[in-house]
Amino acid sequence: MNYETVIGIEIHCELKTKTKMFSSAPVSVNSQPNTCVNEIDLGHPGTLPSLNKEAVRLSVMACHALNCEIDPLIKFDRKNYYYSDLPKGFQITQQFHPIGRNGYIDIPTDSGLKHIRINRLHMEEDTAKQYHSGDETWIDFNRAGTPLVEIVSEADIRSAHEAMIYVEKLRNILVYLGVTDGKMEEGSLRCDINISLREVGTEEFGVKTEIKNLNSISNIEKAIQAEVIRQTDLLENNQPVEQATRRYDDVQKTTILMRKKEGSVDYKYFPEPNITPVLMDPNWLKSIIDNLPELPDHREKRYMEAGLNAYDAGQLIQNKALSDFFDELIKETSYVKLAANWCLSDILANFSTKQLLEKAYSLKVKEMGNMINALGKQEISSKQAKDIFVELLKGNDYHQTVKVLNIEQVSDQSVLVKMVEDILNENEQSIIDYHNGKDRALGFLMGQIMKKSKGQANPVITNQLLLEGLMKRKP
Amino acid sequence: MDIKTLIQTTTPKERVNEAYNKAHSVQEKLNAMVSFIDPTEQVNLLDSKSNDLPFYGVPVVLKDLVNMKDTRTTGSSGILDNYISPYDATITRKLRDAGAIIIGKSSCDTFGMGGTNMTAWTGPVANPYDLTRMSGGSSGGSAVLVASGVVPMAIGTDTGDSIRKPASFNQIVGFKPSYGRISRYGVIPYASSLDHVGVFTRNVKDAALSLEVLAGRDDHDMTSSSLPVENYGDMCVGDLKGKRIGIIQNVIDSIHNLETLNQFKDLCQKLESKGAIISSIHLNEDLMHAFLPTYYIIANAEATANHSNLDSLRYGVLKEGQTMDESMILSRTAGFGKLLKKRFVIGSYALFTENQEEVFRKAQKVRRLIVDDVKRVLENVDVIMAPASGQGAPKFDDASIDQLSKEYLIAENYMALANFSGYPSITVPMGMVDGLPVGVNLTAYAHQDAKLLDIAFGIEKTTGISNVIKEVTQ
Repeated sequence: MNYETVIGIEIHCELKTKTKMFSSAPVSVNSQPNTCVNEIDLGHPGTLPSLNKEAVRLSVMACHALNCEIDPLIKFDRKNYYYSDLPKGFQITQQFHPIGRNGYIDIPTDSGLKHIRINRLHMEEDTAKQYHSGDETWIDFNRAGTPLVEIVSEADIRSAHEAMIYVEKLRNILVYLGVTDGKMEEGSLRCDINISLREVGTEEFGVKTEIKNLNSISNIEKAIQAEVIRQTDLLENNQPVEQATRRYDDVQKTTILMRKKEGSVDYKYFPEPNITPVLMDPNWLKSIIDNLPELPDHREKRYMEAGLNAYDAGQLIQNKALSDFFDELIKETSYVKLAANWCLSDILANFSTKQLLEKAYSLKVKEMGNMINALGKQEISSKQAKDIFVELLKGNDYHQTVKVLNIEQVSDQSVLVKMVEDILNENEQSIIDYHNGKDRALGFLMGQIMKKSKGQANPVITNQLLLEGLMKRKP
Repeated sequence: MDIKTLIQTTTPKERVNEAYNKAHSVQEKLNAMVSFIDPTEQVNLLDSKSNDLPFYGVPVVLKDLVNMKDTRTTGSSGILDNYISPYDATITRKLRDAGAIIIGKSSCDTFGMGGTNMTAWTGPVANPYDLTRMSGGSSGGSAVLVASGVVPMAIGTDTGDSIRKPASFNQIVGFKPSYGRISRYGVIPYASSLDHVGVFTRNVKDAALSLEVLAGRDDHDMTSSSLPVENYGDMCVGDLKGKRIGIIQNVIDSIHNLETLNQFKDLCQKLESKGAIISSIHLNEDLMHAFLPTYYIIANAEATANHSNLDSLRYGVLKEGQTMDESMILSRTAGFGKLLKKRFVIGSYALFTENQEEVFRKAQKVRRLIVDDVKRVLENVDVIMAPASGQGAPKFDDASIDQLSKEYLIAENYMALANFSGYPSITVPMGMVDGLPVGVNLTAYAHQDAKLLDIAFGIEKTTGISNVIKEVTQ
């Protein structure tokens, strides 16, 4: 039988704020356990939440970039359950009035752009992190209260590949906005995948499973592929798919049962009485939207209009740090294609994303621009450029490097004319060969001049002068 | 003696020591204090403070729901019996900044959930006017410490009438200002949308003075108001001429005690003779019958969530089990009394998905109707007024209360209207009924705290009852 895969994705994304969603404790960035906490994060008696305005601002940005309708009235609700990682015994979330609704993003597929609808985007607070060792559990409350947005797609995704593209694109948008650092491996962006199969041509959804704790984009694809195989096998053998939460095991290449969903928990949601609804000032909203950073789609289009092909443009925008570097570089040079090539090869090879983000390098972008300009004007060869680049990486200036490496160009007409004349005089046979149509002779003569000049003759001018000299000596 | 006179006529050490010693000496009879705080260090710190401060060296007591850094705050519960606050409530800071010396934490119904003070983990609190009678609650400890002359001011909280009812039973002033006027940050909640912080004093001006110190916007409490803090004390003039006072006829009609009714009638006549315009107002009787159930549903729904933090994993008295889940269950089972568990069950029931629309959401709708009705009657008068209780404080063992009687449902529970609405409300002494104090309660429109205090001051001048102390040591 033929099955269609139906996928919906929930993404939890940590917001890049200085302080927590409802307290003034700092958001932890790899800090010592339980150092980024105050009485509010630990749910001490008598504490009250105060809403982090920056978290709202970042959420508004995300809503706008994901084409959501924005509810200007911010309201929160309590989600009640007991768990040791939840200090208050409830999570403050936006169950009834999410800040964003009815959004979408378009993802590229083989058959063109595909519209993936986003049901809702809401703000909430993260839980603490638990570590189990033996029969002991350790709790780090640094994460408790970290601002999150949850982004819930409709079940519009139909394959593992589409799911991967969706998450990749969504993450890229959020990273470009500066809303999150989007590191799946560190848990700042977490995906839950709902997946079911149905017979092709039918409308009714099959029984779904949820795959949690996916820590990389590639694992999303692998996990879905494995789960599709597993569910297909079950259906083919007339066995039911059980509604359950599963995780992907990278070693066994299959999904593993975590817990069955038998009679789901009643979270008893009700409006949070300690947060009075906040009406966002329309001018504030407008200023956020007006000052939205450039989004990846727009940047890609700009690159292609500047002369890059779709592949290079696509490769660049995949890596925001690299793309930001490229943007700096093309302020210094109009040889855009050359600049892209250097970014996608030498820059990527020499710098980590972290280095690029933190600008932790000695290389001066302006000097690299000078080098690319010289290369573009063929004042230097690619080989020479590689040697120069090694020096530029150390923080050296382009012109100084050229001098030190003794590869300064000779562009003086009178010097070059003399050199061309000398070589022609020494190579009568090559002149005859050239005029007999042997193109190789030209290369040979150029090579001789370069040898004589120790590679410093300006190749463009020299080539021109050589052609002129040859024409004059036509037999 | 009012607070200003106390400051002028004694030294900080004298007044603090007297209060501290007296708190100890009445403890055996009243059982009002949960924890004593040695005031020495606070008194020493006074040297660096200006003696112009409004509470300079004035001893005060916090209800045992109010956090004060490095002191024990139990909420009069078992589960927090060992809890030492790691932080200050906003009002604790404000009181200290005003020069007040905090000498202890007073007993209350556990987490403010009750009206008798009988559920306190440390046992019932006695009424200084008759030690066989209850203090009233939930802020019973604070009420009797003011009434018996230990401190001139004590902090209380009021979710249904937990300041204004015990004030009535103890011949003192009990004032609950507008919702949002005083920050709730650091005060252990009962029900967040109904909870108010307020004060007990022995006269209205001291209540006004206290509000000046305690009021104001707090960025730690999003529900706190940004309205400017007024000079409530100076605004207490007490001239009743032209003041429109609406008598809540439904309450009068459901009180059986003739002495209470006579005294109230007598008071109304005196007020009229001072130029007040007295009229009868009628609240919707059906809605009044719904006060108590509406209150129970909303308050307990919020309470069950508010106290879900008490799992003893991070603080509190831990009863260790095999798993974390089991530890939570054992700790909560051991740390909460029967009444609390009952209220949590009611609250949870109201919030279950299958009940929420019919119970919790309906209660919220009824609350809206009640507030609209109270607002309606306040359109034509400055304040609404009625006796704060039908008679004096009940005996500890009084089992005669019929919780479905009109007297109970209306006369004994109408004051929750000021919690539903957040309107300012104050109880001042009216007189003695059958040898026991009974107060009169006034409520004004939202944020008319100054007007309410002014009229209450006028009533205090009319009755002549202020600064009464009921000694219990001899």
